[in-house]
Amino acid sequence: MVGETRVSSPLLEARGLVLAFGGVRAADGIDLDVNEGEILAIIGPNGAGKTTFLNMVTGYLRPQAGSIRFRGREITGLTPRRIVRLGIARSFQIPQLFTEHTVLENLALQLAAREGFWAPFAPLLSRARSERALALLERFGLGELASVRADALDEGARKLVDVAMATALAPRLLLMDEPTSGVAASEKHAIMDRLVSALRREGVTAVFVEHDMEVVARHADRVAVWSNGKILAQGPPATVLADPAVHREVLGVEVAPC
Amino acid sequence: MELLLLLALLDGLAYAAQLFMVAVGLTLVFGVLKILNVAHGSLFAIGAYSASTLAALAGTPWLSLLALALAALAVGAIAGPSIERGLLARIYDKEQVLQLLLTFALFMILEDVQKLVWGVQPVFEDAPVRALGPVVVGGIVYTAYQLILLPGLAVVCLLFLVWFLRRTVTGRMILAVAHDREAAEAIGIDSRRIYLLAFTIGAGLAALGGALAAPTTSLVPGVGVQTIVLSFAVVATAGLGQIEGAAATALLVGLGRSFAVYFAPELEVVVPYLLMVIVLVLRPSGLFGGRELRRI
Repeated sequence: MVGETRVSSPLLEARGLVLAFGGVRAADGIDLDVNEGEILAIIGPNGAGKTTFLNMVTGYLRPQAGSIRFRGREITGLTPRRIVRLGIARSFQIPQLFTEHTVLENLALQLAAREGFWAPFAPLLSRARSERALALLERFGLGELASVRADALDEGARKLVDVAMATALAPRLLLMDEPTSGVAASEKHAIMDRLVSALRREGVTAVFVEHDMEVVARHADRVAVWSNGKILAQGPPATVLADPAVHREVLGVEVAPC
Repeated sequence: MELLLLLALLDGLAYAAQLFMVAVGLTLVFGVLKILNVAHGSLFAIGAYSASTLAALAGTPWLSLLALALAALAVGAIAGPSIERGLLARIYDKEQVLQLLLTFALFMILEDVQKLVWGVQPVFEDAPVRALGPVVVGGIVYTAYQLILLPGLAVVCLLFLVWFLRRTVTGRMILAVAHDREAAEAIGIDSRRIYLLAFTIGAGLAALGGALAAPTTSLVPGVGVQTIVLSFAVVATAGLGQIEGAAATALLVGLGRSFAVYFAPELEVVVPYLLMVIVLVLRPSGLFGGRELRRI
């Protein structure tokens, strides 16, 4: 481990996570802490087990061994919905928007889902809920997209709306799977700027999987490098990205770091 | 000739109304749970038999109308949750073949339950029809029950469902789960409850369809088979999971069948299936289906 900085007791503690699919060990003893308030990037080659890790934390996959604690509480094996309610939200590599609803309706639905279920005849777009949804959109600078149908959004906007939706849950921890994948290279930084500044303003701790090293260097407080289901290195981007071993693993080439 | 046309039209409307209520329940359950519930026909039959029994006990004609609604409500509220929680909840992650076999098995069992409870002799109770009396349209004496009540209720049912699903919180949650269960769970929607609710509404609609059909026909064993096959034809023709589509198709099938009755009686039975085959050959995802193909 390279230069780990520990602020306070970790928000999320993963210990000894193991999960094998057939012969492939997608998690082979993962130990990772995520500290309150930080933005942590996860990098690594395809198939290294990055998304598997997110799926284990959010309850979509159950580790065969190991434990995950969130704010000191054991959450291993809880259902995704329980975990969401405890304050861990996620966005997906492919945004999971409800395409036949407008952006505002997507957010309102998210807010309503948090409020509960037994309001069978309450209008979805009640005034209070519409206002809250709109306020959330505006925090991400998406106010003008409120009445656009989700399937008419461009990829960058979809990603932002997806993250805005995840933050509607008022999570303590947000997990994002490749928030800039599919976005034009020229737009990546602009989108990450909006994302990260909104998250920092809300005080949301975030973990994101990313392939673009420039995005990582610019936006993450800390990086963890995945390789074959293990964590190869973790620490501040400047240190980790300068490590030749990391370079070899992530970029697959033997070059001196720039 | 004109009288025959009018008669065919009125028969068709009344029949379409009944058909719609059963078919829309089937399509709702399929759209949300992704299970084709063969036992939907049994719920129709049990709704119909219970309604007849209750209507006969009601005493006055007007009370017998109320009895229909009560019977439908009771069958939906009891059978819906017990089937969903007791059976279907165990097989959501299993193969579709198994799901189909399970609901088919349930259908077979419920067929025999009907024979045990109500016997094999025809059951007929038309007190609710008599309660509303006749109306005269264009020289034809028709029952107000079939001319006004059935189509009226079908329209109310359609409007209610569309409003409920598109405008209310719970309705939108149902649509979200139908669209993508995992994503709905990710935003904190409890899909187990949504499944329970959607199935119960579907079961209630089947029972209501049965209860409303009961006063206009003699109930005999096998009425459930006929219903499930026909509603499946409607649902498949419309496109699985399509609500307004089910209404339009029920109208098409209802009218097609009643015109056949008057003008080409030998075709009566095949008309719905002929329509289905033609539509599915031309548009395999149904008249109104196929929008979800856009999804990744």
